[in-house]
Amino acid sequence: MSTLNLLVLVSTFYVLFLFLVAFVADRLALQGKKAWLRSPLIYTLSLSIYCTAWTFYGAVGSAARNGFEYLTIYLGPTLVMVSWWWLVRKLVRIGRTQKITSIADLISSRYGKSSLLAAGVTILAVIGTTPYIALQLQSVTLSFSVFAAEADGSVAQDQGSMALWLSLGLALFTVLFGTRNLDAKEKHDGVVMAIAVEAVVKLVALLSVGIFVVWGVSGGLSEALSQIDASEFGQWHTDRSRWAGLIFLSAAAFLCLPRTFQVLVVENDDESHLRTAAWAFPLYLCLISLFVVPIAVVGLDIMPDGSNPDLFVLTVPLALGENGLAMLSFLGGFSSATSMVIVAAIALSTMVSNHIVMPIWLQLRPSGASVSGDVRAAVLMARRISIVGVVMLGYLYFRLSSGGEALASIGLVAFCGLAQVLPAMLGGMFWRGATRLGAFAGLTIGFGTWLYTLYLPSFGAGTILPLTIIEDGLFGLTWLKPDALFGITGLDQLMHALLWSMLFNVTAFVTVSLLTFPSPLERLQAAQFVNIFEHSTNTRSWSGGHAQTEDLMVMAQRILGAAEAQALFSRYAAKQGARGELPDPSPDFLEVLERELGSSVGAATAHAMVGQITGGMSVSVEDLMAVADETAQMLEYSARLKEQSEELSRTALELRNANQKLTRLSIQKDAFLSQISHELRTPMTSIRAFSEILRDTDQMEPEDQSRYASIIHDEAQRLTRLLDDLLDLSVVENGQVNLNLRDGTLRAVLDRAVASAAIGEDGVKLEIERDLDREEIPLHTDLDRLAQVFINLIANARKYCDANAPRLAIRVMQEADRVVIDFQDNGTGIAPEAVDMIFEKFARVSDQKAGGAGLGLAICRQVMTRLGGSVDYVPAARGANFRVVLPYRTAMAAQ
Amino acid sequence: MTEPSERPGTPTVFHERRTYRLRRIMDAARVAPALALVLWMLPMLWPQTGEDTVSSATALIYIFVVWAGIILLTWGLSRSLDDPSDTDT
Repeated sequence: MSTLNLLVLVSTFYVLFLFLVAFVADRLALQGKKAWLRSPLIYTLSLSIYCTAWTFYGAVGSAARNGFEYLTIYLGPTLVMVSWWWLVRKLVRIGRTQKITSIADLISSRYGKSSLLAAGVTILAVIGTTPYIALQLQSVTLSFSVFAAEADGSVAQDQGSMALWLSLGLALFTVLFGTRNLDAKEKHDGVVMAIAVEAVVKLVALLSVGIFVVWGVSGGLSEALSQIDASEFGQWHTDRSRWAGLIFLSAAAFLCLPRTFQVLVVENDDESHLRTAAWAFPLYLCLISLFVVPIAVVGLDIMPDGSNPDLFVLTVPLALGENGLAMLSFLGGFSSATSMVIVAAIALSTMVSNHIVMPIWLQLRPSGASVSGDVRAAVLMARRISIVGVVMLGYLYFRLSSGGEALASIGLVAFCGLAQVLPAMLGGMFWRGATRLGAFAGLTIGFGTWLYTLYLPSFGAGTILPLTIIEDGLFGLTWLKPDALFGITGLDQLMHALLWSMLFNVTAFVTVSLLTFPSPLERLQAAQFVNIFEHSTNTRSWSGGHAQTEDLMVMAQRILGAAEAQALFSRYAAKQGARGELPDPSPDFLEVLERELGSSVGAATAHAMVGQITGGMSVSVEDLMAVADETAQMLEYSARLKEQSEELSRTALELRNANQKLTRLSIQKDAFLSQISHELRTPMTSIRAFSEILRDTDQMEPEDQSRYASIIHDEAQRLTRLLDDLLDLSVVENGQVNLNLRDGTLRAVLDRAVASAAIGEDGVKLEIERDLDREEIPLHTDLDRLAQVFINLIANARKYCDANAPRLAIRVMQEADRVVIDFQDNGTGIAPEAVDMIFEKFARVSDQKAGGAGLGLAICRQVMTRLGGSVDYVPAARGANFRVVLPYRTAMAAQ
Repeated sequence: MTEPSERPGTPTVFHERRTYRLRRIMDAARVAPALALVLWMLPMLWPQTGEDTVSSATALIYIFVVWAGIILLTWGLSRSLDDPSDTDT
């Protein structure tokens, strides 16, 4: 079997092996056996996604060309990981607390959930990553062609179709394992496991080649070192600006590249893994770069001039006949390339689908966003299409750039582009004053500068940027030349672009941030991000202790339907052996519930809902605002309801009182009717009886005759008086009375009234107290009517006062605009329940003292109303107290 | 930390010896990257022309020794910072 066929076979088996690893890991994760899947070691190994085929092959090439410069690519990430305590830990904590799904999401979330920023960062990431994917495809096809050339001395002709098959395979793998479940946390256990395995293959491959070169070819460590000294780069020589600049650039890229962000932050399962990764990942990088120089030196030494130093890792073992080692080396490169493409595709597809496809899709749907299963399906579909799209874009780029040398330099160009996110990212994490507009300005101007000074020129002069611009500057202005802004020349092109783009970026970011004012949401998010350690705890799973199962039940019923929710809860209660219908809110129950809810409303929403009830996560500001809005509306509504119900109960009370009064009146009326018929009947009976006697008795004594006639006369008078009263009342009530206004004094009226009331006084005499001096008040009113009122009041006192020595006090008070006359007796007064009845017609306080028809007070009130005053019953300490009020107008008119 | 002085809301100026030590370890963890950066920037000062240039092997050994040193340092610090979630203030 030829080496080439063997290679194809090995690669195929290797890929199948990776599928198997990812599949098994996913299954284990589903069964909850995450313990070792998510160990610190796996986390550390997955970070090696940073080391792509570009570093696997390219590091040796770079060392062969530029000496020690390749080290900077590893020193930067080492510095970042060593800064775990104050930098990476904060980033990871923010990512976990805020449920960050990508770097675009991080930026957008920090700056008030700005979708514009998210889309901008996504586009930047796609532009920066596509050439990188092309680079991976190129490295695999190149390494394949090395074996092909070795096998039959010819270069494989169909590199393109091979790259196509590779891309399709990678896209398939990514779709299979990257979109298996739509998790709110965007964790992909299978993929991470596969990446970790590939990381080991990479390291073992490079170490094997290195050990072989040092001990197998050079003959030992000291020999290898002296060989290095003797080689063409035996002296320390490096471009100082590039040394510093590249360390910065690689550090920035490690934080900002979508794929490293994915494994570093999004896939992080436990913050404490950082404690291991902080030293273990630098160790990994150290080991990866340990043998690069020896391999480069030996390669330069034994390989013919003009051979590609980028492929020394492969060609040196091949040239020395170590086919097995070369195979291992090929697998190392293959691993680096495939893992990079897979994770980059996942990270980019998350960003593209979340920040570009879904917003547009939701906009285009006429019904808007309905939270149901179809959105979930749409998200998954968008994810899958984005993955295929991203990988195919990389393939397209590879084909268009025809796999040329231009690709080799694209790695650092992409780094520089993505590093533009760094100021907004770090600024957002450490500076509360950073605003959305500031971030937007910085990103835009940095991205623009990078495009103009580095990215577009990297396609070669005249390809995209016209030659005139490259030679004479934009609009013929020499200080706008892409490689010498402001006339500063002599800088390496990459460093030139890095310097200006970062300078413009940071300046714009800071200046605009200082000048603008953030929205409330931004300010809250800023506080959350910057003070993340005060706002969060390192929660590893749902802490169910505080969860209210009843609340969960209520929520679940709303979403799942009552029957289904109750079935779920009681099933779990039985499983836990809990009494009753409600299970304990244990973490595994919460997970199951979240999944159930997730199938209805989507995972993220379900997670947020469970989180809000259990308190296991910090609720995002938007959630709080939505909740606050709803609460405010409900409060307002309930306040209105309360008001209405109070009004109703007030009305009901009034109606009840009115009804009681009506009932009492009706009773009174019945009593009055029987009374009045009795009153009318008694005189009528005697009149009839005596008139019959007069008619039928002959020879009656004259004095008897006269006595009977006077009885008839008296009874007739009594009847007349009764009827007069009734008539009088109806006349006064109907307002038909004519007032006879005269001048007089209150004293005279009272004198008359007292004298009139005393007529017919029998039994106990009513003693009347008066202050005659104070009664000297001139009046201009209907004196007769007023006297009638007074007579009535005095007569009532005489009739109803139940004291042994009845006494009536008449007190006169002259106030500013009225005269008040109180009639207070020393009896027991009027029962409170009768008070509001006494002024009604036919009302009588008690039946046994019934002396009149119950019309007196009613007439009094009508008369006083006509006179412009009032008569009221005023509760007093003891006795009945009637108060007559005359308007002063009436009194003054007499003067 | 469960020391009474560490209760939230009652910031104290002086801490127990153990807490004090822990805080200095945190400081060290913050400073460590700066140390590594300075050490790795030193090669920029090395002469690049003339007689006394540094040989590549020496430079390589220097960089990798610093590397090993910073890895060991971080390892030690991370072991001392037992539970990072509760200790940062």
